[in-house]
Amino acid sequence: MPRYLLHRIAQAAFTLFCVLTFAFVLGRATGKPAGLLLPDNATAAEVDALNGALGFNEPLHVQFGAFLANVLAGDFGQSYRQREPALDLVIERLPATFELAFWSFLLGLVLALAAALAIQLTGSRTLRSLFIWGGSLRQSVPDFFFALLAVLVFSVALGLLPSLGRMSPASLVLPVLTIATGQFVLYVRLMDAALSDQASQDYVRTAFAKGQSRARVLVSHMLPNALLPVLTMAGLNLGSLLGGTVVVEAVFAWPGLGQVLTDAVSQRDFPIVQAGLLVVALIFVTVNLAVDLLSAKVDPRVSLA
Amino acid sequence: MTQQLLPAGTQVPATAPTDPDIQGTPATPTPAKRKGRGTSPAFVIGSAMLGLVLLLAAVVPLLPGFDPFGQDLSAAMRAPFTDPDHLLGTDSLGRDLLSRLSLASAVTLGIAFAVVILNAVIGTTLGMAAGYFGGRLDSAVTTLADVNLAMPVVLLLIAVAAVTGPSATVTIVTLGLTYWVGYARVSRNLARSLRHRDFVLAPLTQGGGHGWVIRRHILPNVFSQTLIIGATDIATIVLIESSLEYLGLGVQPPVPSWGSMIFEGQKYLGSNPWLAILPGLAMFLTVAGAQFVSQRFTAEGTTGALLRKGRTA
Repeated sequence: MPRYLLHRIAQAAFTLFCVLTFAFVLGRATGKPAGLLLPDNATAAEVDALNGALGFNEPLHVQFGAFLANVLAGDFGQSYRQREPALDLVIERLPATFELAFWSFLLGLVLALAAALAIQLTGSRTLRSLFIWGGSLRQSVPDFFFALLAVLVFSVALGLLPSLGRMSPASLVLPVLTIATGQFVLYVRLMDAALSDQASQDYVRTAFAKGQSRARVLVSHMLPNALLPVLTMAGLNLGSLLGGTVVVEAVFAWPGLGQVLTDAVSQRDFPIVQAGLLVVALIFVTVNLAVDLLSAKVDPRVSLA
Repeated sequence: MTQQLLPAGTQVPATAPTDPDIQGTPATPTPAKRKGRGTSPAFVIGSAMLGLVLLLAAVVPLLPGFDPFGQDLSAAMRAPFTDPDHLLGTDSLGRDLLSRLSLASAVTLGIAFAVVILNAVIGTTLGMAAGYFGGRLDSAVTTLADVNLAMPVVLLLIAVAAVTGPSATVTIVTLGLTYWVGYARVSRNLARSLRHRDFVLAPLTQGGGHGWVIRRHILPNVFSQTLIIGATDIATIVLIESSLEYLGLGVQPPVPSWGSMIFEGQKYLGSNPWLAILPGLAMFLTVAGAQFVSQRFTAEGTTGALLRKGRTA
């Protein structure tokens, strides 16, 4: 276990270091920022002086060292446009993104759980095909297009739900529905496979032999055993879910991380891009690590692998 | 996005290795598992869907009146099937939607193919080298793959586009450098399992170089797997690529792509929803069609193995 733990932590740290290096290289590839920061009529000497003051005239390895030190201190520099610390601008958008990601994750899991239980309770192959095919067809269109169809039906045609912004709880419905249905098929397949695996175990046969009902065996015996691998995979998928919300946010003008990032890209506001990249990478890596270690803790077989 | 983190090695089937240098070997007979499901309904439907899109991309440019760029503001925003000159209608600038859809299909699919080829070449090369040579190289490639999976790829791509400015080349290179892990894993495992087989060891003892042995004896066994992953990956890449195009990070106007057409059409959802729906439909046909077709090749098709061996409580 300690060895596995160390290995995983080292790997997570290395991943973050790679992202940092990448962000640094990209940041320097944009060129020196003084031209963007100063008014158009600034002289070349002024531009050079500001670049020097910002440390852009130093040798690269010195700049990289300074960059790492700054990042560790939580300083990503000022946004070129808004003249505020970039990290603050990113962090103030996090709650909106978390809200979206959390409800989508929950709804996706709950829908999948209901579907998997229904499949197992009825033992119906038709039901299984229906859910898996339906989910696969949903996955055949990207989130942003499904979102548009949802807007077309629920906002344009029926006028039931808002299509933009984050005004009321109702504005959560369409984005959450979009992301959750996109995740649905992955979870259904995992849960169904896990439950089907458990079905042939001895303890299940014993439970049936004691005369327990199918529902009871399913919920109190099989489900706890089947849930762990599913939660692990779902946890690992949380990262790509966060990536997916970036695009969905763009469709619904949801004021989250995705919006601040896409705005920053179009305005060439690189400190924000760097800060956003690292914040997301940090979340991503932490979640992956936590899920890995948690499942090793809960199920001792994992650490043997 | 739809990056599915299926357990590693799910796609490694138990096909018998083939070797061109050994003749008449009674190698393990290839299992006759594909017998009888060559023309399943899903395969036929999938082929038809893909065929329709290819027809759109390849044949429409040959038709008279193909003009994806010509604007005609007097004929703007026509709905489909209302104007004989513009079969699928026109967009807000009066450009012919059928022509634009055709060009967009060619552009989007072209980029997706380029990405998949780049992925396959990088992944297979790294994977074969890692599995064949083992040791430090192996752990380096494995770490690289793990790190790659642990990164928020879409965000990295957005960041790259922020620096270089968006273009088709940037999309191809960045996606091409990031989605190779599947190929690497499968070819690494295959190369590892073949490394000590007689048909690999024999030419080595007779002075064959490692490069030659890999090309001649490992690659042919890995190749079919690479093709299968590529066939299933095309759909994933189309989806990711389109998301980037939708965010404005791909080919630039006036050249259309499915993603950018949907983005443009979004503004007119109320008046002419077809502007957004038609490119979405083309994308759906491609991705769903690829899923249906690739079921024939993958053990874990959309429902495939899960259903066949499916047990219930």
